[in-house]
Formats: sequence, structure tokens, C-alpha cells
Amino acid sequence: MKKRNLEKRRHVVAWVNKAEWDQVLEYLYSTDPGLQRFALQRISAWKARYANSTPVAVECTAELVRCQVLDRSRQLDGDDLVLLYGAALVRFVNLITEKQQGKTARPLRTIAGNLNIPEWVVDLRHNFTHRKLPTLKWCRKGCKVVLDWLQQEYWSRQLGGGGSGDWDSQSEGEDEEMDLKRREDELIARQKEMEEYKHARELLISFEKEQFQASEGLQGDLMGGSWPAPLADMSWILAEIKQFALESSEMLVDVLLEDGFLVPTAEQLETLGCELPDGAGLTEPRLPQTFLRFWLPLLKMLNFSSFIHLLLEKLFVELKVLGSEQNNHRAFYISAWISELIICNSNKFEFHFETKTQKKARMKDRIFVNRIQLRWQQLLSACLDAPCSSTPHLLRLILDDMEHPLPLETRQKLLQLCSIYTQTAPSESDPPPPQQHRQPIYTLESLHEKLQHSKRLSRSTERSDSSQDHKLSEAHAEKIKQLRGSPWQVCVDKVPWKNFPLGKVPGQSDDPSCLMVENHSMMTVFDQPVELESSSTHSMPGVSAPTRTAEGLLWSHSDVNKLKSGLQFF
Amino acid sequence: MKVNKTAQAKSQARSQKWKDVRGKRSRPPINSSDLNSSPVMARVIQEHQATVKKKPSVKRLKNKAKSVSAPKKKNIPQSGSKKSHTQSNGSSMLTVDNDSEDSQDWKEYSKSFNRNGIERSCIVGDTRPGRLEGEALHYCAERDDRKNHAVLVMQENQTLCFRGKCFLTSLYGRVEVMGFTIEEGQQSYPLFSPASHCPLTIRALESPPDTRGDRTDASVMLRKYLSSVSCKKLLKRVKPSSSIILLEPMETPLTRFLSSFTDLSELFSPPMSELISAVLDTPLNGLGMIPLVSAIEGFKMSESYRDALNTLVNACTGDFDGCAVILVCGTKNVGKSTFIRFLINTLLNHTTSVDYLEGDLGQTEFTPAGCLSLSTIREPLLGPPFTHQNSPEHMIYYGQTSCESDLDRFLESMKSLWHRRSPSRETPVIINTMGWVKGFGFQLLVDLIRFFPVSHVVQLSHGGTTQCPLLTPDFLKTAHGCQTHPPAPTALDEFTDIHTPPRSYTHLNVQSEFQGVGRQGTAKHQRTNEHRELSLLAYLSQLQSADPGPVRPLHSLTPYQVPHTALALGAIHCEISPSHMLYAANASLVGLCCLGEKVTSRGGPVMLSQAPICPCVGFGVLRGIDMERGLYFLLTPVDPSVLCKVNCLLLGAISLPSCILTTQPGSEGETPYVTTDYSFDLTGAGKLRVFKGLMRPSQMGV
Repeated sequence: MKKRNLEKRRHVVAWVNKAEWDQVLEYLYSTDPGLQRFALQRISAWKARYANSTPVAVECTAELVRCQVLDRSRQLDGDDLVLLYGAALVRFVNLITEKQQGKTARPLRTIAGNLNIPEWVVDLRHNFTHRKLPTLKWCRKGCKVVLDWLQQEYWSRQLGGGGSGDWDSQSEGEDEEMDLKRREDELIARQKEMEEYKHARELLISFEKEQFQASEGLQGDLMGGSWPAPLADMSWILAEIKQFALESSEMLVDVLLEDGFLVPTAEQLETLGCELPDGAGLTEPRLPQTFLRFWLPLLKMLNFSSFIHLLLEKLFVELKVLGSEQNNHRAFYISAWISELIICNSNKFEFHFETKTQKKARMKDRIFVNRIQLRWQQLLSACLDAPCSSTPHLLRLILDDMEHPLPLETRQKLLQLCSIYTQTAPSESDPPPPQQHRQPIYTLESLHEKLQHSKRLSRSTERSDSSQDHKLSEAHAEKIKQLRGSPWQVCVDKVPWKNFPLGKVPGQSDDPSCLMVENHSMMTVFDQPVELESSSTHSMPGVSAPTRTAEGLLWSHSDVNKLKSGLQFF
Repeated sequence: MKVNKTAQAKSQARSQKWKDVRGKRSRPPINSSDLNSSPVMARVIQEHQATVKKKPSVKRLKNKAKSVSAPKKKNIPQSGSKKSHTQSNGSSMLTVDNDSEDSQDWKEYSKSFNRNGIERSCIVGDTRPGRLEGEALHYCAERDDRKNHAVLVMQENQTLCFRGKCFLTSLYGRVEVMGFTIEEGQQSYPLFSPASHCPLTIRALESPPDTRGDRTDASVMLRKYLSSVSCKKLLKRVKPSSSIILLEPMETPLTRFLSSFTDLSELFSPPMSELISAVLDTPLNGLGMIPLVSAIEGFKMSESYRDALNTLVNACTGDFDGCAVILVCGTKNVGKSTFIRFLINTLLNHTTSVDYLEGDLGQTEFTPAGCLSLSTIREPLLGPPFTHQNSPEHMIYYGQTSCESDLDRFLESMKSLWHRRSPSRETPVIINTMGWVKGFGFQLLVDLIRFFPVSHVVQLSHGGTTQCPLLTPDFLKTAHGCQTHPPAPTALDEFTDIHTPPRSYTHLNVQSEFQGVGRQGTAKHQRTNEHRELSLLAYLSQLQSADPGPVRPLHSLTPYQVPHTALALGAIHCEISPSHMLYAANASLVGLCCLGEKVTSRGGPVMLSQAPICPCVGFGVLRGIDMERGLYFLLTPVDPSVLCKVNCLLLGAISLPSCILTTQPGSEGETPYVTTDYSFDLTGAGKLRVFKGLMRPSQMGV
């Protein structure tokens, strides 16, 4: 089900390209037995590629066409042909209906009916297995009808042919009941989600209302720095929100991150008396204090660690979505919240010079006081995943606060790379190298990798290149030496192999018959006896010298049989 | 016969246990860690501890002591190990007494015993020791960020079960992983615990007491690896009986190559079912290890499992007549390979190498699937098969993941491999077999037991029942194989005299009891076809250069070239018209084989009319075919010195993993054999599905 929503998946098939498929299809349904035989031979090669996963329809078609070819060659008697047709038809009916079988056997007739296979074809199959053998005439007719069915249902619709566009209608036939139930479930789930969403919004809006009212009433007091104690209404709302957060925290966070909540609108800021942040604040975003205090009662209520985890996670996701559009109001508030949360968690005492009351005031503004065990690795990746102008700031906060800090050197390098990448150029004067920008840094690994790469580059620019080349050519020379005297060579053509996918060589055309062998030599080899000519093969690890054992006869009865059977030529 | 043996052994062990208890009473100063330098004692102590743990009432045991010790007397005359028992007992006493400087000799002497002791104890260990998890890991592990490694202090019998990968070095004491003991002073070993298999467990073993100094030794050693603050913190945890291990992150061409495929990027993370059991934010996590809580059991050994291992190890290390040939069989997913890995690892504690004959085409241990091979193993197997792909001494490409299609070819290949083994070799041999134990599959097992001079047959089963008849020597007297038949006084004698007089062997019946026994894993990476793909990808990862650097996709590598007139090309698994042969071979996996005959062409490529049984030296990817110049382009990790002997390419039913073809970054134009337009929703678009046990409506109520 999900596959449909994603981009189309790449599948490995046995034909090199669409042209080969079209050719085989054309030849299979040709009236010329020679062309049909060609198609059958190609399908035998496909079956070799597919090993055990040849599509059932391809296999059935080949078997039926084989009967037609033998019939048209006029080399077999009618009775011979009936047996051949019989096997092919029985296999078709059973294999094609196999997928529709559930846990318990369903009658072939029913399944065939669903698949639009004429009922008499099923009867024909039953005649072959249980009753009197049908006549050749019926066989031919059955074969023709089934081949037409296969062409219509499989071959012509496959690979972008007619019917494959309507993916949805196809699956319905399989199990309508299940499908219906699934849709119902989806609908119910969606409805429930909508309700939850509405509820969350209502709760948060009523919270905001209460807060605004309170702030208006106590404007003067607010400037002084203390926030009024929550009113009775407020405590009810908070309890409600907490309950909601326990039930569906994800929804609550989603709503919180919408504009007008944790990311305030311009009017809201105005009402609170905060000035809009200027551009400079972006590198080190801090929330306006009044705005922070506005939300504190709510967040203090929700400061259990799982919620904080989730909030941080979603904040980073939001930041990533915002992506390239920097200097954005939203990005500012989101990074400011991240920074606020991490600072809350920090146990660094940079404020040791402050007075007790100052400290008390500061602690009051904290969403939570006790350190939470954050998932640092994930945070770090999430942070690097969402590069923006405040990333260096956030990265520093994370790196400084990690439970198991990275080595100092790594930290510095990461920070530096990060600032280079986000173009904030902290203090260094040299401009960032242009190639840094070509490939975005997505993960910690790629950052590390880049780090190593740049290290290597800086250490020795051309010297290393030449020495690497030298090393490569040395290994090359060694290989050539070892292969001397054998037909094997290291390919010496100057071919940019990375441009050629597997199965393709320079100068190869897209013509489906480009790999046909016009003349070949056959060779018949028997099983290699235990004793090999030791002189030439002695040194090889795979083929060691013969070891005669004293266990008696080496050639058992079956060995002899095997040899005999090997003598028959195909 | 066999039943008798074990019964005797058991009662003997029990009797010794009582002796030990009495001895303890009379000589109080000797504690258990002093005693374990003797092999028998080690086991006795372990068993004793286990029983004590299970039945806390020691009193009851004392009451019974008299009656149980009765059979002991009967055993005295015929017990060979009784002798060693007293000997070792003496030695341990002396070791205890010896606390002066002239200990050099004694140290060596006791060391020689220690070595035995370890092995014994690691099989026997049944005590359920503490799992290192959660908070505990913060106290006993320290990470050095600068050097990027961690040091972990483990107390005796503590375990650490984890997902991920790392290098493990024992700095102090010894630990056991999958039956292999890693001691202080040994090299570092790579450990792989991917989501595809049961997680690995590291277990601390008791340390030999005499060689242990006090904590100063440990502190000097720790200082080499950690900052002084961390050192101090860890030293508090170090006791003379502790083990200290060093864990380092591991990146190899294999892991880099595998992680270049999006589907495999989470291979070394815990599978979905274990996510809640993963311990995050420990000092180990940053190194690529994720510890698991004790809810995840790790590998579980049943009693019969342990007994069988003990018997086999004793047979291989003791004075067994000739070399031990151990055939392991049992139905699918019963844990044959795991048993064998355990056995090999345990044997490698004693011997330098173990021979291994692969007879399980679907789940090969050292090669890509579809190969029968004979290998000599010198390094322990501390991970699933795909982490130790290496070139066997001898290999035959069978070309299918199951032997059903050609039973004779299978048996002939096995015989052929066996005969390439020098008959004078004394190394123990382990024969793995396929999980097909019904019908002809069972007959093949009968054949294999008759063909090879088997000394032990280990038959694994689960659920309290055996999935097929027991392959005891008695059963073999009348059983029919595919190629062999029970000896009968007929004219057939000339063919059957290979196995007259009928040999006898020890039959060990083992019950597997691990979780999910008998069922194939259903989680990501756990299905058998995924295991096969992993093995093949691991094989192909050898094409990557050993130096760290970006992964180079297969298609970007410089291939070998060889004229198509110089190689014979054949298909094992089906018949293909020669003129269409290259359509099957292009961009396929081929077995690189050596024919005794010279390959000559009378024009055009050389095709084999049938695929012979012949030596195979490795695999390659037929990267492309230049029809104009008549060249095959081939990618292979096989060494050029061997490659130059290859004159035959065999196609089999082992296909390239699809991710190799679908992930070809940077290539231009349409990718051959890859499409996005194939719809699996059309009737007949999928592969043939075999429903086993389709129920008839009439059977529903029954």
C-alpha cells in the first residue's frame, strides 16, 4: 500500500531493456515457428537470470508457446501433442490461480471466474487430471484462448502498457473486503486525528487567552519581572493540557509549533510588548523574556523528559523543513526555543558571579531545573541535519553539554566546518572553499568524512596524489606480472568505467540482439576426477595436488552411471 | 553404549562434586577461585555453584550426600580422569601454598592447567550471571575520547550482550565470546553482532588467581588507555577476579561496503523488536556498540547442547583414536551453524586449526551460497557467516541453494572434496549438512554418514521431538541411502565394501531451546535469502581497497579482460541455447572454475554442453561483454596468481543481490536489467509461490 505513495521502485528484471521485452513479446505471438522458437530460447536465458523467481505468466506463456511450436512443426503425433498441451494447460490454471489461494483451498472455478478465465478452460484442466483426455482440437483451442488471455492480462499491460496505469483498480480485485475495511479504518483514524487536532488548538488558544488577559491586567507588575500566579481557570486549563499531552503528546507538539503558538505572530509580540528580533540575532537567537514567561506556566507543566525529547526532536525537524529560507521569523523562534531548552538542561555554571536573588530569578525562568538525560547522539545528528545560520550556536550548545563529549579537537573541527558550511565565518578571515558547498552535509558521518578529507587535502596537496597514483600503478604492475602467460589481462583501455553500468560496455548498442552469438564452439567436459594434473595446478589454493586415499574404490556404482549419462550429447 | 557413557560421566562428576564439598569443609582456606586451576575442579565448582544457586537449601544437599556418593566407589577402578583429578587437586593445593618468589615454574605449570580450565568452564557455565546494563555501564566503563576507545571492567560471570561491531582486546583477565576465550596478551578480535542474527554476548570468566597481582598491575595498564580521572574511577571496580577489556570501533571494507546500500544502513543497529531493550547513552554507544538489557537473552544453550559440546571437545583434544570427524545434522533453523560456530571456537581454544566441510548449500558459512567447500579454520568465528567470508582450500560450485535438483551431483561433489583432504591429516573435521531431513534429504544424510569415516553424529532437534529418525549406528545398519544401501550378502558386495566392516560412531542427540527455534526469522535482515545476499555482498566487498576512503561502486572498478575464446562458459541450473547464452551471462555472477582440459575454440565463444563438477576458486561479476573484440570484462577479488588458471565460467542460480544492480550511482543512460515500470499487481507477474499445507475446506473442522 505504501509503495504507491513513494516513488516507483527499481526492480531487477531479466531483459536488458524495454526493446528486448518488446522483441520477445512480438516473437512469442508471431505465427512463424522460427521466431517463436527464438523467443523461447531467449526466455530460457531469462529463466537462468531469474533463477527461482521467473514471473509465473512468463513461464506459462513459454510452455504453451512451446506446444504450439511443436504442433506446427508437424513432427509429433496427435496423442503426443495432447499430453504436451495437457501439462502446459494444467500448469497454467494451477499456477496462475495460486496467488489467489488463501489459507484454505478455494475452488479453481471461483478464482478463475474472478480472473476472467473462461470456465471451460478450468473444465479442460479437470479433464486432463481426472477424466478422459480431451481431443487435440480442444487442446489447441484451449491453448489459443489462454495465450490470448495472457497477452491481454499480462504482456500488453506490463512495462507501461495499457492497463498498468490504474494501480488502484488492480488491487481491489484481490480482496475487496480487506480493502474496504482498511479504508474505513483509515477514515476513522483520520477523523480521530482531526478531532484531536481541534481539541489541542482549543486548549492552547484558551491558554493564550488566559495569559493575555492576565498580562493585560498586570502590565506593570510584568515589567517588574514576576508573573502572576495562575488563576483557577488557568489551573484547570493546564491540567487539561497535561492530560492531553500524556495521551497524544505528538499532536500537542505539532500544534504548539504552528504559527501563533511557540512561534508568535507579529500582533502577539506587539501585545506582549516585545520588539521584533533584528537580523543580527539569528546567529545566537534568544527568546524575548516576556515571551518566554508567557509560555512558562505551560511548559513547566510539561517538563517530563519524554515530552522534552519529543519537543526538541520536532523543533529540529521543523528547522530542517525551513531549510534554505534563512533570516526567517519562524527559524528564529524555533532555534531560540531549542537553545532555551538546551540551556535549561545545561549544568555549566557560567553564572557563578551572580547574586543569590539573581540566580533565583534565573531559575524561575527555566522550563525545568533538573538535568534531563537527553539523547545526545540523536540530537547531534538532528542538529547537523538542519543546517541554518543558528546551527553553529546550537551545535556549540549541544557539544558543550553532551554527556560523553567528543574529543576537543573533533568538537572544534565540527564547529568550524559547520560555520563554514552555514556561511557565518566566525573569526577566520579566509573565505570558505567553494567545493564545500557543492554537497550538503547531511549526517554526522559525512561531516566526519569531510573532515578527514579536508585534513588529507591540507596535509599534502599534490604529493599525496602522486604517491597514491604510484601505489595504484604498482599494484597494477604486480597484477600484470602475475597474469603473464595467461589469457587474462587487466583492462588497459582508458575507459571511464564509472559511466558504464554493469552489463554495458563502451560502444554497445541498445539493439536487443547485440549479444547474440553467431558462431560458437561446443565443449563437453566430464566431472573432473579427484586427481588433477598436479604439475600445473600444484600451487593453486583452490586446486591442490591429488590425494589418493586408501579407502578403496573411488568410483562407485553411481560414478560409473554418471559417466555413462554424461556421454549422451545434448 | 552412548547412553551409558554419559550416565557414567555424570555420576562421576556428581561424585567429585561431593568430594569437593567435603574437601572444602576440611580445608576452609581454599576458596573457589584458588581451585579453578584444575580442569575438572573448574567444572565441579561451576556445577556446584549452579546447584547452589538453583537450590539455595544447602542443608538438604548435605543430608543426601551419603547416598549419592555411593556410586563413586564403583567408578574408581575404571576412571581415568579420576587420576587427573587427584593430580590436579594436588597442584592446586600447591599453588595455594606457594606464595614465595620461586613461583616461576609453578606459574607455568598451573598455566598449563589453566588453559584447560578455561575451555571447560566456558562450556559448562550455566550460572545466570549479572548482565551489564543501564546504570552499571556508567560505573564500569570509561571512554577515552581522544583515542576513541573504551575500557570496560567486568566481574566474573558478568555478561554484556550487544548489537553493533567492535574490536575487543583483553587487557586483564579473560572473557569468552561464542565459546572462544580471549585472554590477556592475545591479539584483538573483531566482533560482529548485526541485526540479522542472535546478538553476541561477552562473558567475563574467572581469572587465574596466582598470576594476578593486586590492583597496581591493573592501574599501570589502565593508565596506558585512559586519563587519570577515568582510571581512578575504574580502579575502584577492579578486583583480582575482574576482567578488563578494551573496545575499539571497527570499520572494515566490508562494513563500509555494506553501509553504502540504503537497505543495509541499519544492519548493525538493533532490530525493531529490540529497540526498547537497547541501552542508549553509555560510554560504549559512540563506538558502534549498543548494549542490550537482560530481557534480551542472547544465545541460550540447553543442557544437551552443553553436554554434546563437552563430549566433542574432549574427543578432539583427548586421546581419541585417529581424527574426530563430526557430522552435524538437523532440520532447518534448528541452530546447526551456531552449534558449529560454538564448537569451532571452543576447539580453537585447544588446537590451532579445525577443518570444515560445507554441505549446507543454502546457509554456507565461509562462501557465497550454492558452494560446497572444504576449509581450514584458524581464526575464531565471532559473528555471522557474512562477517568471515574467506577462500576455502577447496570449493565446488553447485550452483543452487538446495540440492534437490541433482542429488548425485551433490554427493559426488562432497566425495570429491573429501578426497582432496590429505588422509594423514589429524585435524578434527566438522561436516555441516543441509536442513533437508525428509525423504531424499534424509537418505542423503545416510549416504554422507556412510561415505565419510564419521566418529560423531550430532543430531539437533527442537520441541522435544526429533524431526526425523535418529541416525544412530543401529539405525544405519538397515537404512537406505540414495547411493548406499545396507550391506546385504548379495552380488552388490563389490560396491558396498567401502563401508565394511560397519564402523561405529557416537551419536549425540541435542535439543535446541533458543527462542524462535525451528522458525525462520521474519524481521528485516533475518530471512535466509537476506542472509545469502549478505554473504554475497560480503564476498564482493573484497573488491574494495583496504585503505579507508569512499566506497567505490562495482561498476566503477577497472575490470579484468579475457578473450571469450579462452574460457568455457556453462550453466549449471538450467539449459540455455548457446546462441542466447550471453543474455544469461551478462551482468551476472559467475563461478570461476578450473578445468583439467585445455579450452580451445574453433571460432566464437566456447560453450559447455553440461556443467561438470570441477574446482572453483571464487566468483566474479561478468561486468560486460565486448562482442566486437570478443572480450569478457570481469570483476573479481580472486588473486591474479590464481585467476590466471581459471578457464571456465559457470552460471548458477545464485544471482547478484538486486541492490548491486539498482544502486549504481554516477552511471550514464538507462541501467540494464533495471526498470521502474514492472508492475507486480498484474496476475502472474510474481514468481511461483509454493503454498505448503494448503488446507481443504473439508479438513477445517478436524
